[in-house]
Amino acid sequence: MSHLTNLLRKEVKELMTGQMIASMLLMIFMFAILGNVIGNVQSEAMKQEVRISLLDLDMSAESKKLTELLNSQQNVALTTLGTESTEDALKIADNHSSSALLVIPSGFGEKIDNKEGADVDVYGIVRGLGIMDTTNSAKTQVAVSVINELIAQEYVREAYPGTEPSNILNPVRPKSFIVLRGVVSEGSPEMITSLLMGQSVLVPVILMIAIMFAGQMVITSMGMEKENKTLETLLTLPVSRSTIILGKIGGATIVAFIMSIIYLLGFGYYMRSITPNSSISMPSLSMGVLGYALLGVSLFLAILVALSLSMLLGVYSQDTKSAQTMIMPVTLLVMIPFFLLMFSDYTTMPTALRALLFAIPFSHPMIASRALLFGDYAVVIAGIVYMALFAVILWLITIRVFRSDRIITAKITFRRKR
Amino acid sequence: MTAIVVDGLRKTFGKIAALDGVTFSVEEREIFGLIGPNGAGKTTTLRILSTLLKPTEGSVSIFGHDVVKEDSEVRKFISYLPEDAGAYKNLKGTEYLRFMAEFFASGRDRESMVKRAAELTGLGERLNDKVSTYSKGMMRKLLVARALMMRPRLAVLDEPTSGLDVINAKEVRDTIKRFAKEGTAVLLSSHNMLEVDFLCDRIALIDRGRIVETGEPEELKKKYGAKNIEDVFIEVVS
Ligand SMILES: Nc1ncnc2c1ncn2[C@@H]1O[C@H](COP(=O)(O)OP(=O)(O)OP(=O)(O)O)[C@@H](O)[C@H]1O
Ligand SMILES: [Mg+2]
Repeated sequence: MSHLTNLLRKEVKELMTGQMIASMLLMIFMFAILGNVIGNVQSEAMKQEVRISLLDLDMSAESKKLTELLNSQQNVALTTLGTESTEDALKIADNHSSSALLVIPSGFGEKIDNKEGADVDVYGIVRGLGIMDTTNSAKTQVAVSVINELIAQEYVREAYPGTEPSNILNPVRPKSFIVLRGVVSEGSPEMITSLLMGQSVLVPVILMIAIMFAGQMVITSMGMEKENKTLETLLTLPVSRSTIILGKIGGATIVAFIMSIIYLLGFGYYMRSITPNSSISMPSLSMGVLGYALLGVSLFLAILVALSLSMLLGVYSQDTKSAQTMIMPVTLLVMIPFFLLMFSDYTTMPTALRALLFAIPFSHPMIASRALLFGDYAVVIAGIVYMALFAVILWLITIRVFRSDRIITAKITFRRKR
Repeated sequence: MTAIVVDGLRKTFGKIAALDGVTFSVEEREIFGLIGPNGAGKTTTLRILSTLLKPTEGSVSIFGHDVVKEDSEVRKFISYLPEDAGAYKNLKGTEYLRFMAEFFASGRDRESMVKRAAELTGLGERLNDKVSTYSKGMMRKLLVARALMMRPRLAVLDEPTSGLDVINAKEVRDTIKRFAKEGTAVLLSSHNMLEVDFLCDRIALIDRGRIVETGEPEELKKKYGAKNIEDVFIEVVS
């Protein structure tokens, strides 16, 4: 076994405590249950019929027609009430546990006949604010608006026999195209925005998770060496400083990787169960293999930088508790570009902000995720080179610190001050 | 060959001069003891020897290798036991020993090293328990065993018996003596004067960063007309 493998094994064993595994499993379990429950409630709610009560005070041919139309709709269980007053009807509707009461006032048929537009009163009966109630009220709305559509079509058929009603009702049909940096594609600006939002949230979120878990792990592993007083012994073993550092970073990465995967699986399962899958694809806005490769490299380097930075911060952590706060500056450096890029685009920013963003290594995967969509490779490659340099310099500094007194004395001065 | 040559060693931490010109040497197979009051500079000296701290001035060579310039070479034949050390909490005793042995040997050699260390610890079945369940003394025995298991050419032991009961302390002292006979040079620090008297071939008294007296225990006792090293210590320091 090489020294590195030996160190890696130890790091993983130290970080993968029973407590950590337990809390991880608990989290997945909770996500899974939560996703399942919410998903079930939702799909149950969608499947179930909505109960609607109807009070017809008009009793005209038109109101009968409306009742018929409502009755013929799927998902609607209609109860026609025979009372005279709305108040009584409401009570009965409530007893029937209807979600809504529709009241057709007298004079309805006449107004419809004269094409004056007629009112129908819709009383939504709210019993709670759960998913069931909200979907029921939505379904009532849909049922009523479908009626409108059907009646309008009826009018059109009468007036223009032999024509397709939808051609009269919606004579102009806009077809959307977008021109993005000279490329024309079908779609609407909203689609782009939501695609970009997806991208600009997804990449930083992955980055955040990776940095928070891995960075935390690295700092914790340094904090543990200090807390358990194992660092001095480790540093006098016949193994190079860079191997020790690599072992710590590697071990933390392995543990963080496992945790992230489990976390994402749990979370992904949760998201899938509560949202129906919708995916937007735009041929002119896709990355291609090279794009994905570059994004991968960019993400990898950003994580490497985060780990090296955490390693350096870890030197100054006294124990596992202070390790928790030590990660803060790293998190901050991810948040700044995240918010800046959420509200504006790198290419259209003032130069000063662009310089700031470029200087923060964690901006680059976020910039890259957009730039690559537009085939803008220059800024991505510049970012990759910058991050690589940043990582190398951090690495050199870290090794220097590991060779210096500071790795030992950072702890001692603190302890003596207490 | 001389095991350790320390020459004019100075070490400052900001304004504090922890070591102010320390000079001594240790021969092969010799057990050399550093004694002195709290804060005298014992730990600092041992840390510089173990390549953990860099001297501000002066030089240290171990078996002819400079501790600053050839630190990675030095680490190959020293073994350092810090005064206040622990082991990896999530590992079992044997796992810890195996992890440490891996840096010095592999395969069957490693396993016999682990076996030797396991015997040295005297922990028996408890070696299969996690280190986090050990008492202070059990931990110390584990660490002493780990420091000696690879039969280093030089063992640097900072208060090796601290926290041990009388029986265990005696066992550790016997072990150290045996290893020295078998060829390990030992540099240790201690606050236990009986221990120093029993163990050490030579001792150095260090006070406020300077060596104030060096010699064989018998020699020093005679020089100060003292019954034991404790009296010598009090005589020299006060
Ligand atoms: N990291 C440090 N920063 C500042 N001062 C330090 C540091 N390490 C040691 N010192 C100082 O150096 C001097 C020597 O300390 P050292 O730990 O070597 O003493 P010691 O002889 O081992 O004492 P003890 O018997 O208590 O273990 C002390 O005055 C101590 O305060
Ligand atoms: Mg000390």
